[in-house]
Amino acid sequence: MSQDRKTTTAISRRGAIAAGVSAMTVSAMPVRAAPADGGGLGTAEAPISIRMAANDAFAKLWQTVLVPEFNKKYPHIKVTIDGLTYSEHLTKTLLDLTSATPAYDVICNDDPWTPQIAQTGALLDLKKDVAAWTDPDFDWNDFYAAPLAASEWKGVQYGVPLRSNMLLMFYNRTHYKKAGLPEPTPKLTWAEYMAQAPKLVQDVKGEGKVNAWAVSTYFARDQLTPTIWQAILNANGGKLLDADGKAAFNTPVGVATLQTFVDLLKYAPPGAKSHVFTEELTAFRQGQLATMFMWGSVFRGTAVDTASTTLKTEEVGIQVMPVGSAGPGTHRGIWSGEISKKTQFPRAAWALLQWMSSKDGERFASANVGSFPARKSTLAGKPEFPWLAPVFATLAQSYEVAQAGQMWRPRLAKSDAVQQVLADEVARATAGELSPAEALKNAAGRIDKLRL
Amino acid sequence: MSAGNPRRRRAIGRQVRIWSGVVVCALFLFPVFWMVLTSFKLQRDIFTSPPTLFFTPTIQTYTTYLKFADVPGRILNTVIVSVGAGLVSIVAGAMAGYALARVKLRGATTIGVLILLSRGVPPIALAVPLFLVARNLELTDKHITLILAYCTFLIPYVMWLMRGFFLSLPRELEESATIDGCSRFGAFFRIIVPISLPGLISTFIFSVILAWEELLFALVLTSRNAVTVPVAVAGIAADMITGVNWGALCAVGTITVLPVVVFALAVQKWLIKGLADGATKG
Amino acid sequence: MSGGRAAAPGRTRSRRVTRLIDTVSRWGFMLPAFVILLAVLAYPILYTIEISFAELDLGTFLPSEWVGWDNYETVLSDERFWHSLKVTGIYLAFAMPLQMALGFGIAFLVNADWRGRGAVRALFLIPMVIAPVVAGGLWRMLLDPLWGLSNYLLGLVGIGPLDWFGDATLGMATVIIIDTWRWTPFVTLIATAGLMSLPRDVFEAAEIDGANWWVMLRHVTMPLLVPIIAAAFVVRWLGAVKMFDIVLASTLGGPGRATNVINLFIYQEAFRGLKFAESAAMSIVILVLTMILTGIFLRGTRHLEQRY
Repeated sequence: MSQDRKTTTAISRRGAIAAGVSAMTVSAMPVRAAPADGGGLGTAEAPISIRMAANDAFAKLWQTVLVPEFNKKYPHIKVTIDGLTYSEHLTKTLLDLTSATPAYDVICNDDPWTPQIAQTGALLDLKKDVAAWTDPDFDWNDFYAAPLAASEWKGVQYGVPLRSNMLLMFYNRTHYKKAGLPEPTPKLTWAEYMAQAPKLVQDVKGEGKVNAWAVSTYFARDQLTPTIWQAILNANGGKLLDADGKAAFNTPVGVATLQTFVDLLKYAPPGAKSHVFTEELTAFRQGQLATMFMWGSVFRGTAVDTASTTLKTEEVGIQVMPVGSAGPGTHRGIWSGEISKKTQFPRAAWALLQWMSSKDGERFASANVGSFPARKSTLAGKPEFPWLAPVFATLAQSYEVAQAGQMWRPRLAKSDAVQQVLADEVARATAGELSPAEALKNAAGRIDKLRL
Repeated sequence: MSAGNPRRRRAIGRQVRIWSGVVVCALFLFPVFWMVLTSFKLQRDIFTSPPTLFFTPTIQTYTTYLKFADVPGRILNTVIVSVGAGLVSIVAGAMAGYALARVKLRGATTIGVLILLSRGVPPIALAVPLFLVARNLELTDKHITLILAYCTFLIPYVMWLMRGFFLSLPRELEESATIDGCSRFGAFFRIIVPISLPGLISTFIFSVILAWEELLFALVLTSRNAVTVPVAVAGIAADMITGVNWGALCAVGTITVLPVVVFALAVQKWLIKGLADGATKG
Repeated sequence: MSGGRAAAPGRTRSRRVTRLIDTVSRWGFMLPAFVILLAVLAYPILYTIEISFAELDLGTFLPSEWVGWDNYETVLSDERFWHSLKVTGIYLAFAMPLQMALGFGIAFLVNADWRGRGAVRALFLIPMVIAPVVAGGLWRMLLDPLWGLSNYLLGLVGIGPLDWFGDATLGMATVIIIDTWRWTPFVTLIATAGLMSLPRDVFEAAEIDGANWWVMLRHVTMPLLVPIIAAAFVVRWLGAVKMFDIVLASTLGGPGRATNVINLFIYQEAFRGLKFAESAAMSIVILVLTMILTGIFLRGTRHLEQRY
C-alpha cells in the first residue's frame, strides 16, 4: 500500500503536477498522533466534540434518542451523527478516512465493508489500541460470535455490533390456517416449504379470485438479492468462496439452490420479478403474502405499528429460514461501530461505542430505537415489550446458525465487487434471461477474474 | 362562401387547440396530483389493492417527519445553491453564447465546442476528483463549492442555448447600435439582452431547475451543513430499515414543487409584460 | 464605455491600442465562462485521464501503478460494457425524437393567445421540477403490477396485468415514459421561449399574403426556429446520455440488465465495485464517443442553420 512517488511522476508531467500538488498537500499536513491520554473525556469548561457517520435511516434517530441518554453518563462529550445514504456510504467513508484530517471519528459500517476499510489501515484495533479505557465489566465474551465477527478481520477486532439484523422468515398465521396447513416451525425443511407453496396461492378475502400468494422476497437486481440465494445455499452446506478466494458455488448444490430460489417466483405475486425490500414488505403488510424472507428489523412496522400495517401482532410469526441438508438458513447483516485511527479523541470515541454496545446501552437501544441486541445477556433477559419475545428467541437461534454455517458475505477487501457480480448474474437468472447453471458459470468466471 | 365561415373555422380551430393543450397538460399533471394525494395517506393506505381515492387523511407526514428530517433547512440550502449557480451560469453562459453567435473571434468556436463537449464526461468520473480538490482546499460541505461544481454543467448548457437564441435575432440590431457609437459591451447589455429576455429567463429557469435536482455532486460534496433536498429524498427512497416511506417521499416532492411553480408563475407574468413593452418598441 | 475611439497622439499607436482594446473586449465575452470552467474542471478531467492509465490506491485515492492501456483493454473487451451501450442507444433512439416532437407540438398547442396560457405554461413545468428519485418512485407506484393505478385502469378495460418492471420491453418502455414525462416540459419551455421571441412582422406579412397555418408553420416558423430546435436537441441529447437516476429509482437496471444504461453501469462499477480506474477508462471512452456523435450533430445543425 506504499505510495511510490517516483512512479506517480513518471505518468505525465501535467498529471504529475496535479497529483504531486495534492500528494504534497496531503503529506505536508502531518498525520496527527492522538495525545497519550486519548484526548480525555472533556470537562465542563472544555467539552470535546466527536463526529460519527451512520446510515441515513437511523442517524437522526440515534442523534435525538441515543445521544442524550449517552450524555447522561458523559456530559462533556458532544456527539454529532451525520446520515449517509447506503449506496454512497462505503465510498464516502473511504474518501473521508483516507484523508489526512478525517472529519469522522467514528463510523458505523455495514457487514461486508470492514475488510475493505481495514485494508487501508484506517481503523483502530479495539482490543489493543483502546484496551486501557475499556470498562472492566464490558465483557467481550457476552457477545454472540456471529455479530462480533462482522467487524473482525484477519484476527483483529475493529468494531462492536451496534445494530444487528438477520435475514429471517416472516409468516402470516391466518394464511396457513385458511390453507389448512400446519404453522411453520424452525424444523420446516425446504422440501416441505416448496410442497406447501402451491396451496398458499389462494383467495383469503372471499373475492372469488386469487389475492394471496405464498412468498415474495428480493428478486430484482439489487445488492441484497444474492443473500437470499446464499441463505439457501448455506443451509444446504454450500459455500460462496473457497479458502483461496475462488468461486465455490458453481456446483450441483449451487445450481439446485439457485433453481429453488428462481422457483419461488412461481408462487409469488405478479410483478414479483421486480420486488426488492419495499415491495415484498408492503405486500406482506397488506396481507397478500403467506411468507416473506426479510430482515428482522421490520418486525415492529409489520406486526405492531397500525399506521403502517394491516396485520395484527398475533397473526405474524417469525423464525429462521427453512432447513436444508445442513440445517436452517439465515444471513447476517450487522452494523458495527468502528473508530478512525486518525481521530484526536480515541478515548471519547471508545466511550461512545462502549456505551452503545454495553449491557445497559443495548437494553436502552432495543427498547427505544428498535436496534436488535447482540449480547447473550440481553437476548436472554426479559424484553421491554412482549412482542419482542419471539424476536429475541429467533435472533439468538439465528446467531448460532449463522456462526455454524458461516452465513455471511465474503470477508475480503473486494467484497462489494463480488456482491456486484452475484447481483448481476442472479438477477439475470430470476429475470429468466439465463438458466441458473449459466448464471453461476458467468458469475464464477467473473469472480475468478477479480483475483481476490 | 359567406365571410363568417373561415372565421368560425378559425375560432373552432382555436378552441380545439386550447382544449387539447389543456387536456395534455392535465394528463401530464395527473401523476403530480397522485403524489400530492399520497402525501396525505397513512403508510398502510398507500398500496391498497385496488388503489383508493378515499381514505382517512393525515398531515402527520408533513408535521412530524419533515421537522424530523430537517427538510426546511435542506430546502433553504437547495434554494441558495441553485439560484446562486443559476445566476453565475446565466451571466457567464449568456456572454459566452453571444461570443459564439455574433462576435468574430478566432478559436472561439473551438473553445465553445470544447466547453460543450466537456459535458460528455460522465459526472461520476468528476465527482471523486472534485471531492479530493475540495477536501484539500477545506471547502467540503460548503455552498460555494456546490455552486461552482454545478456551474461546470450549467455554463455549457446556457452557452449553447443562448447561442441559439442570439442566432435567431436579426443582425441589424447590433449594427445599428454600433453605428450610433455604442461599444460591443454596451450594445450587448442595452439592446440584445432586453430583446432576448424570453430566452434568458427560460434558460435561467432551466438552470435553476437542473441545479435544484442535482444529486451526485451533492451526495459526494456535502455531509451536514450544505445538504440539499435531492440528498434528503435519496435517503428516504433508500430506507432499508422501515421500508421506503412513500408518504414522506411524496410530501417532500410536493413541498419542493411549490416554490418553483410560484416562481415560474411570477416570472411568466413579468415575461409577458416585458414582451408587450418590447413589442411596442418595435 | 469600454473600447471605442481613443484620441491618442500618433495614429499608428492609437490604431494598435484600439485593436488591442477591441480584442480584449471581444474575448471579454468568452472569458468568465472559460475561467470558471478551467478552474473547476481542469483537475478532475486530468485526474480521470490519469487514473484511467493506472491502478488506483484506495488508501490515498491517487494513482499508484502505471498500467498503460490495460484498463481500456479490460473495458473494451467487456461484453457488459457493449450491452450497456446498446441499451443506452435503444433508449436514446426512442426517447429523443419523442420528446422533441411532443415538446414542440405542445408548445404550439399552448401558444394560442388566451387567458390561462401563463398558468398552463407554469403548471406544465412541474414534472421537470420533481426530483428524479421522486419521479421514479412515483411512477413505480403508478405502474406497479400489483397495486398500481395503471394496471387497475387497464384491468377495467380488460387488459391483463402488465408486468411493467419484470418484462424487458416494458421495462424499457417504463424508463422512456418516465424520462419523457420529465423532460418534455423542458423542450416545451425552450420552444415557447423561441416562439415568443419570433418577430411578429414576418407572421403579419405572411398572413396578409394569405398563408394558412400549415404553410406558415413549414415555411415561416420552422426556419426561424431552427437554431433553437438545434440547441434544444443538443442540450437534451447531452442530458439524456447522462441519465441514470431515473433508472436507479425505477427499474434498478433490470429486469436482468434490460435497462442497464451506461451511466448506471459506470456508477455501479465505481461506487459498488470500487473499480475507479476502470470506470475512469469507461468515462473517457464515453467522452470520446459523445464527442464524435455531438460533432456530427453540430455539423448537421450548422448545415441547417446556413440553409435557413
